[in-house]
Amino acid sequence: MMLTKQNPLSRLLTYILLLLWTAAVVYPLVWTLFGSLKNNTQFMLKKPWALPEFPLLWENFTYVWQKYGFQSFFANSIMVTAGSILLSLFLSATTAYVLARFKIKGGQVLYYLYLSAMMIPMILGLIPLFFLLNDMGLINKIPGLILVYTASALPFGIFVMVSFFKSLPKELEEAAYIDGAGHARTFWSVMLPLARSGMISVGIMNGLNIWNEYIMGSVLVNKPNLYTLPVGLAVMQNEMQYRTEWGPLFAGLLLSILPVLIVYIVFQRHIAEGVTAGAVK
Amino acid sequence: MKQSARRRIFYAVFLLPTFLFFCVFTLYPIFRGVQLSFFDWSGGTKEMDFIGLDNYREMLRDPIVGTAVANDYFLVLFKVIGIMLLATIFAVAVTRLNVRGKNLYRVLFFIPNVISVVVIGVLWRYVYNPNLGFLNSFLSLFTAERVQTAWLGEPHTAMPSLLWPSIWAGIGFYMILLVAAILSIPSDLYEAADLDGASQWRQFLSVTLPLMWEQMKVSILHIVMTTLNGSFILVWIMTEGGPDNSTQVMGSYLYQMGFRQYHMGYAATIGVLILVLSLLTTLILQRVLKRDTIEMA
Repeated sequence: MMLTKQNPLSRLLTYILLLLWTAAVVYPLVWTLFGSLKNNTQFMLKKPWALPEFPLLWENFTYVWQKYGFQSFFANSIMVTAGSILLSLFLSATTAYVLARFKIKGGQVLYYLYLSAMMIPMILGLIPLFFLLNDMGLINKIPGLILVYTASALPFGIFVMVSFFKSLPKELEEAAYIDGAGHARTFWSVMLPLARSGMISVGIMNGLNIWNEYIMGSVLVNKPNLYTLPVGLAVMQNEMQYRTEWGPLFAGLLLSILPVLIVYIVFQRHIAEGVTAGAVK
Repeated sequence: MKQSARRRIFYAVFLLPTFLFFCVFTLYPIFRGVQLSFFDWSGGTKEMDFIGLDNYREMLRDPIVGTAVANDYFLVLFKVIGIMLLATIFAVAVTRLNVRGKNLYRVLFFIPNVISVVVIGVLWRYVYNPNLGFLNSFLSLFTAERVQTAWLGEPHTAMPSLLWPSIWAGIGFYMILLVAAILSIPSDLYEAADLDGASQWRQFLSVTLPLMWEQMKVSILHIVMTTLNGSFILVWIMTEGGPDNSTQVMGSYLYQMGFRQYHMGYAATIGVLILVLSLLTTLILQRVLKRDTIEMA
């Protein structure tokens, strides 16, 4: 690699492009932070890239957190995301285990049926889904959202977990059988712990999608105290436009970016794995 | 006997709950959606009028559907070009070229992919805002008079303006895929190329590109499918299909017909159109791209 001649001009161009894109990705975050600390005068009269003036307006944050119900958006999003991750992990790991480790009639068909759901536009099912949940009395209910999000997370989970279970060695499983453990026990105490890293990847990827999901959330819930974060944010930005509350709006944007940013930084390796695992279709 | 009964129970416990879930919340709504497309229904009553193919006939005559389909394919085409071009350059840069801070770029460029489409939409609306926006203020630095273009408010600038955030939000994901593909190329191929005195560019053309082509195909298909199935969310957040339906895509028009104007049957028909077009497009593309590899080999 060190031998390869590199054209200095193309090298320079590469650096310029990389730096430009870094700016394009990082600057909006910085801009959001600065905006969240400004008042309207600064928005109207100063350049958009001007630094916020002192005193910094930290009140913008308390304003959206308390008065705009960000508190409850956060709580709702955490409940919905955590519930859906756990339920979908359980449902996809069990099915994936059987599909990966046992030869059963129709197993292939079932596997491809789940996979094909990843190619279907979910919006086609959105209208019937609304009326289905309505009939079940699950509109405007957190559990309703959890059920729907869980179902949407199953295909990806099954897909990744099947390939994960297939890659595990047979010996450990056999040792467990010899010790007299049944199938369920072997799955629970031997195979599942071995598949931990795959489960984390699936959980994080699905979790990010669910945390960020907007369309289903906006259709299936229309009570402000039950909004998830993206839905609350979308409603809030409409109102704030008319009331020209720019500072609080940017504070709200920043508050909703921070948790995913932290999760991303902590689980960065698992996310990269999840991305590559999911796309080898 | 007892053994096989126990095994059957094990299968049932492990497979049935998942399958039931999938049937109720995924399969049923899709089939029901297809069925709804043959009815005239406002959603408010129990009564539904069976009207056969009338919704489909209406759809063929609806000029907004034409605009929406054209806009969808506009996004597909330019997203594929823009994302693949930049993601390939970045992936090669952080793997094959000796640039400093490789890992940092990989981490940073993925950030837009973890941010909610709502946040992305709102942020970019303020980039394009005619009075307070970043873009106009920046352009005004170079002009005598203040630039006041309403980028999202004019029919001829609105659609291109929606393209940039879609590309911006997509790069990181495909870059990671391509990086993984490049890293899996055996290093002795590059060593051999080095011994032959092949330049960096030559190595890209005759080693990297052919060996990452498989992953590039997967990425292109993935962009096409996710764009046709999901690009409407960003559109809905940023313009709601306006001004004057000029940025309507199929998904946003479905949403408007169903949940704003309560033409549930007609909305479902648009949903069937999305399904058919997205499957057809990926199928055709798969054929075309397959032929490509044979020619290259």
